[in-house]
Amino acid sequence: MPSNARAATVFVAVVALLIALPFVGGDYYIYLFALVFINVILAASLRPSLTCGQLNIGHSAFMCIGAYTSALLAKNLGVPFEISLLCGALLAAVVGLAIGYPSLRLRGVYFAMVTVAFVEAIRLIASIWVPLTRGNAGLSVPKPSLLGMTLATRTSQYYLALVLMLIVLVILYKLERSRLGLVWKSIGMAENLAQSLGVDIANHKLLAFTLGCFFAGVGGAFYAHFIRFLFPPEFGFLLATNILVYNFVGGRGHFAGPVVGAVFLSLLSEPFRGSPYETIFFSIVMLLTILFLPGGLITLPGKLAGLRRWRPTSGTYAPPASA
Amino acid sequence: MTAALLVQSAVIGLSIGSIYILMALGLTLMFGMMHIINFAHGAVYMLGAFAIYYVYFQWGAPYFAAFVLAMLLLGAFGYLVERSIYRPIKGGVEPTLVALLALTTLLQAAGYPVFGTLDKHVPPVFSGTRNVLGVMISVERLMIIPIAGALVVGLYLFINKTRIGAAMRAIEQDKEAAALQGVNVNVINGLAFAVGFALAAAAGALMAPIFKLDPMMGEQPLLKAFIIIILGGLGSIPGAILGGLILGLIDSIVATALGAEPAFLLSFVFIILVLLWRPTGLFGHAL
Repeated sequence: MPSNARAATVFVAVVALLIALPFVGGDYYIYLFALVFINVILAASLRPSLTCGQLNIGHSAFMCIGAYTSALLAKNLGVPFEISLLCGALLAAVVGLAIGYPSLRLRGVYFAMVTVAFVEAIRLIASIWVPLTRGNAGLSVPKPSLLGMTLATRTSQYYLALVLMLIVLVILYKLERSRLGLVWKSIGMAENLAQSLGVDIANHKLLAFTLGCFFAGVGGAFYAHFIRFLFPPEFGFLLATNILVYNFVGGRGHFAGPVVGAVFLSLLSEPFRGSPYETIFFSIVMLLTILFLPGGLITLPGKLAGLRRWRPTSGTYAPPASA
Repeated sequence: MTAALLVQSAVIGLSIGSIYILMALGLTLMFGMMHIINFAHGAVYMLGAFAIYYVYFQWGAPYFAAFVLAMLLLGAFGYLVERSIYRPIKGGVEPTLVALLALTTLLQAAGYPVFGTLDKHVPPVFSGTRNVLGVMISVERLMIIPIAGALVVGLYLFINKTRIGAAMRAIEQDKEAAALQGVNVNVINGLAFAVGFALAAAAGALMAPIFKLDPMMGEQPLLKAFIIIILGGLGSIPGAILGGLILGLIDSIVATALGAEPAFLLSFVFIILVLLWRPTGLFGHAL
């Protein structure tokens, strides 16, 4: 694992490269990377929940809530993008609270099943509430704006996505490094032990989940104004699974895991985006990772170094499964 | 809603409920023993239906032969999944669930290039209609009830009267103690996978002549089975049967009155209420 100083250097270098990208890459790369940033936001926002050992297979539903809320506020009421994005994220968080409260008190699998069913429920609401959402005919969405100015070019939208992603990542990183993050980790590692030490398990899980929903709402709201067309089937079970896959393929043991997973999978699956082969690719990578690299891609450099120097790799932390 | 329509929805609800029960029983059996939820259950249902399409419709085998073959093949596939996915992960619940999710999306997505993108139909196996309490119901739908009922009774006898069934119950109560008494936990878990997969295949095979076939057809029954086992309590077989009957009836009657989407939303609200009121379901064990 790189030291903090090395990690900071890598972070600054990557951000500098991303700032420079529009000057070297064409429109296609700008578009592609903005999509990657959205995926990074979604993947990273699932992490608090996963750290607590809660398998949330319904993240796309909260993205969907953020997307439709922001889109409808901007389109029908002319609400500025900054406000509509916040409203979308807040509504996603409130709904997350309402779904999480009854199901998070139970064993993890109940929660996993409720979230799967919830994806379908939200997708159906978006499809059948035609007067509001236009259902499966799809909803066109205005471009994003900032301080009253419409961001018409792809380049300006790219920078907006980059800034949003960095804000979300910094907040989530600070949270993970705070006392709260340690409590989440303790719940994920040994729930009963944490409880015996006085940790309020249910409320901490609920907080982690609700925060995740909030940031999924942020990702969804930006997605709506960037793609500019919302179609309920897009927010189905498959998208929710992909968000989970980013986390597991990247690695759950480190904050950078979901980021690496989202970038790696989004870029590599690009040639067959939208076709069944994208899903086939994702599923095979997922199965191979779980079976042969349980710590995810993030542990790969350590493993390779360990092989070369012929000594066992020092322990990389991977949260154990909770029962 | 007239009385005749109500009777008709009730009978159809009973036959749909039987399908849900077949799905939920396998899920609940596997959960009881291994504490995992088999997300691939819906994909297995889909494969069961496609097995009927090819073996019965395309190759002309008798329906019951195709039915048994689908159960055997997918049961063997279940054993293989235990051997190649569940066992190597060594009981890690989260990684197992995610691996099973990946298996689901793989089977669904691979269905498009393998089976083609056009919807497929299987011609009716049983023709005609029968008068039930003054309403005409197609024999096709009626036949589901005794076949599914026979499978449920068979499963009950298997679990309660055979040595393998006793081993399954022993693992459900205490895995370590069962292993100490000489139960081969790996093989019995593999058989539980096989039984669960075979039941899901049977459900798909029964529905094949009624609904259109496409690679995503397993999602709805899987979600329904989730709702049933949350309702009935995870790991409880009577809970799964009762939950299946309740949901089948709600589903059919509400769907007839209001449409399929409101019926699903209503059942989702229903399970949230059940979780608030009785978190472990109607028959669930204490957590």
